[in-house]
Amino acid sequence: MQRILTLTFYFVKNIFRSLTGIGLVLASLVFWAIFFNPGQKTPDAAYYMLVIGCFGAGMAFFVTLACASRANHAELYPWIIRLPSRVEYMTAVFCSSLIITAVLQLLVAILALFNGPQLTAVHLLEIPPVWASLAILGAVLSLHATDLVVSGWSRVYIFGLLAIVLFAQSIHNTTMRSMVVSLNRVASSQGWTSVNEALADYAIYLNDGDNVNIISRFFGLIFWPFKAIADGIVSGSFTPAQALAPAILLLYATILFMLAADFFASKDLTFTE
Amino acid sequence: MIDIRNVSKNYYNLKALDNVSITIPAGEVVGLLGPNGAGKTTLFKLIAGIINPDKGSIRPIHENWPSIGYKSDRLLLPNHLKIHQYLETVAGISNIHRSKIKYLTQQALAKVDLLESANKKIGTCSKGMRQRIGLAQVLIGNPQLLLLDEPSNGLDPEGQQDMLKRIQELHTAGKTIVMSSHQLHEITQACTYLIILNRGQIHYQNSMVNALTISPHALIETERPLVDPMLTTAIYALHPDVKIEGNKIYLQNEAMNLRRDILAMLLRSGYDVIHVEQKHITLAEIYAEAVR
Repeated sequence: MQRILTLTFYFVKNIFRSLTGIGLVLASLVFWAIFFNPGQKTPDAAYYMLVIGCFGAGMAFFVTLACASRANHAELYPWIIRLPSRVEYMTAVFCSSLIITAVLQLLVAILALFNGPQLTAVHLLEIPPVWASLAILGAVLSLHATDLVVSGWSRVYIFGLLAIVLFAQSIHNTTMRSMVVSLNRVASSQGWTSVNEALADYAIYLNDGDNVNIISRFFGLIFWPFKAIADGIVSGSFTPAQALAPAILLLYATILFMLAADFFASKDLTFTE
Repeated sequence: MIDIRNVSKNYYNLKALDNVSITIPAGEVVGLLGPNGAGKTTLFKLIAGIINPDKGSIRPIHENWPSIGYKSDRLLLPNHLKIHQYLETVAGISNIHRSKIKYLTQQALAKVDLLESANKKIGTCSKGMRQRIGLAQVLIGNPQLLLLDEPSNGLDPEGQQDMLKRIQELHTAGKTIVMSSHQLHEITQACTYLIILNRGQIHYQNSMVNALTISPHALIETERPLVDPMLTTAIYALHPDVKIEGNKIYLQNEAMNLRRDILAMLLRSGYDVIHVEQKHITLAEIYAEAVR
């Protein structure tokens, strides 16, 4: 624990004492000025919770990139070899980015309270799990984008898969049907009878599907926690199912963290000199 | 202490190490010699666990991995930190108890004569000071194995001698050290075991004592070239390790025992002997032979 704390303290101090740190603080102030301009009318609590929650996720992504870039310097080789496990090093990077994000998020949250919404005790109880889960997921996802953790083509696989899932959950039956019909025409022109028949059957199935979009609903399940959190915040109270959403986001974060730890523990370190 | 078996490492198409097997004995100072690109730094990084071998294994001889202190060949240090802050961070990472961090940091600084410069920013330090900071961070936490990649790189002759003295002190204190250098005299003075790498392969390994005592040879020099065929035939007939080149006669290994007989033959034949030299092979000769 002492090793992780020492490294975390070093990275936090390193960021806040650098130009990057000043840039991050300025970016947070600009964000506050745009989304919580004190001159405009008082935002409601749902807006406050959602916008600052999203800010936390986005900021965690960028802060993690900054921390990982600082941890990826050859001058730190002598440090990393002293650790019993490399994962401690990655954990320190992750913790430092969460601490910095929390500070920036708190800064925006406090500033936004001037001429801001009246938060009830229920809101105050809802905020930590929602904001923390979004920030943690943002930070872990960002780890996979950094040179520190990336191993071979892992960055392409992770973000490629994410792009495919995002695309798949947004497609509609009509889009799918037109794609299948196009493929059907190609198969027909090439004389691939069996493929042609299968595609034709599938197009009919999609057409008779009573607008039930199986693909988008399947992939949409992955993004359900985000929708559940937004619905819960907007409606003012979480249903028992919606209350699980932050926990599911943390589950995603855990899986991604374990994957990142596995990549980092087994890769050849090539820190920048 | 560490057993390296059949280790190979490639960087894309470049073979950095090719089927290397070495045992690093505990308590020895192992000197790694080799031209640039021989694979020395790759070997250091493999032992330190910074990179992984493509083939082969690196294992501790006993059950547990020794604690390792590593100083890279570059003088890369966090320039924005003060010397004591840097060493205190290293101590924190080494799991030293908080109450002892300050004391042990000062002890390490004292060992490398940097106690008075503890509050100086690393970015403003000279090369010599940076090398000493590198050595001080290696000493923190009392690691069992010290990996020193070109510890005297960039130092003036006085600084090099100073660094050598410190390495010898560490050896006396029982540390196992692996160091590389391009300075042959440094390796001769500081190391007890010698490894010569070239193009990713081990070309020579031996204990320093054995390396420098094998192949003794003698040189007998006459005032004029040996042109008398009767005499040269007689000398050649004495031993296969006798070689004549102009006015010089080289005697190697067991042929050295014949130097009195040869001297007598030369004097009898009217040749004046102007120089007789008896010596052992030098590290420069071993190195030149190994990397040829």
